[in-house]
Amino acid sequence: MSTVAPQHEARPAPEARPAPTIYEPNLMTVIDLVDETVDTRTLQLEFKDEALRESFAFHAGQFGEYSAFGAGECTFCIASPPTRAGAIECTFKTVGKVSAALRELNVGDTMGFRGPYGNWFPVDDWGGKNVLFVAGGIGLAPVRCVIWNVLDRRDEFGDVTIVYGARSVDDLVYKRELEEWAGRADVNMVTTVDPGGETPDWDGRVGFVPTVLGEVAPSAKDTVAVVCGPPVMIKFSFPVLADLGFADDDVFTTLEMRMKCGVGKCGRCNIGPYYVCKDGPVFSATQLKTLPPEY
Amino acid sequence: MSATPETDAAPGAEILFLAEGELAGLVADLATAAVEVVGPAATEPASPAAAAADVLHGRPELEYRTLAPGVAPLLAPGMPRLSLKGFFLPQTEALFAWRQHGTEIEIERGEASARRRVALGVKPCDAAALEIVDHVMNWDFADQPWNERRVATTVFTLACPVEDGSCFCTAVGLAPDGTRGADGLFTPVEGGWLVEPSTEKGAAFVAEHAARFATASAALVDEGAEARRAANERVAGHLEIDAESVREWIAGHFDDPLLAGLGVRCHGCGTCASVCPTCHCFDIVDETDGVGKGTRRRSWDTCQTGKFTLHASGHNPRNDQNARFRQRLNHKFSIYPLRFGEVLCTGCGRCSRECHAGQDLVEMLAAIDVAARRPAAVGAETESGGPA
Repeated sequence: MSTVAPQHEARPAPEARPAPTIYEPNLMTVIDLVDETVDTRTLQLEFKDEALRESFAFHAGQFGEYSAFGAGECTFCIASPPTRAGAIECTFKTVGKVSAALRELNVGDTMGFRGPYGNWFPVDDWGGKNVLFVAGGIGLAPVRCVIWNVLDRRDEFGDVTIVYGARSVDDLVYKRELEEWAGRADVNMVTTVDPGGETPDWDGRVGFVPTVLGEVAPSAKDTVAVVCGPPVMIKFSFPVLADLGFADDDVFTTLEMRMKCGVGKCGRCNIGPYYVCKDGPVFSATQLKTLPPEY
Repeated sequence: MSATPETDAAPGAEILFLAEGELAGLVADLATAAVEVVGPAATEPASPAAAAADVLHGRPELEYRTLAPGVAPLLAPGMPRLSLKGFFLPQTEALFAWRQHGTEIEIERGEASARRRVALGVKPCDAAALEIVDHVMNWDFADQPWNERRVATTVFTLACPVEDGSCFCTAVGLAPDGTRGADGLFTPVEGGWLVEPSTEKGAAFVAEHAARFATASAALVDEGAEARRAANERVAGHLEIDAESVREWIAGHFDDPLLAGLGVRCHGCGTCASVCPTCHCFDIVDETDGVGKGTRRRSWDTCQTGKFTLHASGHNPRNDQNARFRQRLNHKFSIYPLRFGEVLCTGCGRCSRECHAGQDLVEMLAAIDVAARRPAAVGAETESGGPA
């Protein structure tokens, strides 16, 4: 960048905006990256601004707008738990222009982040309750934030059950953490892959997440459920949970909608009476049932 | 929301008169003070056909423009094709620029959008839209570029004679002589305009240019009042709806064939959103300028295109034009009122006027209003469908 416009003697410059607008991202450094699957990557990010590094706080379930400069912004939930300060993580699948550009970033590179935005899972209200996590594919990313949040505060909760599945063994994300959770005595970990997605040495279950959820049949007594995955998985998991006796108020999910601004202006994530970016992304099954089928 | 015409002059306030001959002087004063003037101007006919159309209509097509210093706005009947919104939410604008230095990124903020401006001859429906869109622009997070332009701009509406049958401002609680979102009103009368500031900002503007204004005679005041009354009466006949029952009906009849089939003729071109004074949805994209630098821009967008809601996965929550058109009506007449207490529409009629497919909002609202007043049929839907 050495050959930009030559420096002439000082001329009264137009007055630059004194403060950032709501659309200006904070700069972050990529401090680590992990390939979860062949097309899914986790970036660990640290704010460049030291004060912000200290002060940044969020709740489990909130999201942000991540910038790859030159490609644009993308919306992801913060995949790391609020109980682990200092850095945040995002996990994304390479499907479009921005995610492809984010994948080009190396450790040490700069990207942008705006957030945290949206509401969160009411983890603080779940004291003493059992927590059931149901996730499919990359839908584990927002759920993982809640799982670690709960595990980091393990004493506050009852039984923890995780039912997680993906299309194939290769598509399971956070593989090391799945092993870690499976090895914990205080977590009931159930991992499954869709029929045909298993490998010869696969020792988990085989079956679609809603089916396996029905087989595992966790008790609904004093239990809240957190569900996230592809729309079809969510759609078929809700009736299973209802059959198990879960009340709609105790079932939560996080909705994926296309977003641009993240702050309730651009109109894109509007569905029924809600702006997913402001009223969500976390919704209870009770709220979801009042929504038109446009998610 | 009832169709009460707004009468904005404070009781006992003196009504001023700006003689036709003084307009040029006023604009010259503004040029001297380096205040930008925005107002209607004749569009350069883009083709012989457009020129012929101007002749046919007996007047040029208008557009709002930032006028060259000293040029007076055309304070005449006629509906500018685009609303005033582009002066507050530009069709495209740079949010910031960025520059890469190795692994580092430097963000270069743009200028604050605070040039002092006065908009003269604004349609009351276009001014009202500013105040209506203020809600969403300041909902929790304040949109600085919008707010800076709002603060920097003084707006005077021009009492509207009612353009054509697509106008329906009174049906959405506004009036052809309103000053919502504006700082004062001009009313055309013999030899000039009655001028009535309605805010402190408007009063300050008038005070600053006091030499240009005279006190209006009682006869001129009567003439203006009569014209305004007649315009209100004329537009009130175009459409009358009960906004609250329309809102409730739309919210509760998601799958009703009337609502679900309204988009059948729609091409999804988005013209309605472009010309709409209240449509404010936008896209945010990066534009690169060679290697290692670029700008992040926001540009108008519309819920009428398929890509608006398309997920990266390929899933599209609103996959057909009926669903997208329903969303437009939903947002304007159900969601926005529920969230911000008023409809996201000023009855300017541009969407009906400009639609290539003949989608007519006046017709649709009338039909929905009739449905909303009809006693609920047995077995009718009571709440929006819920997840399929």
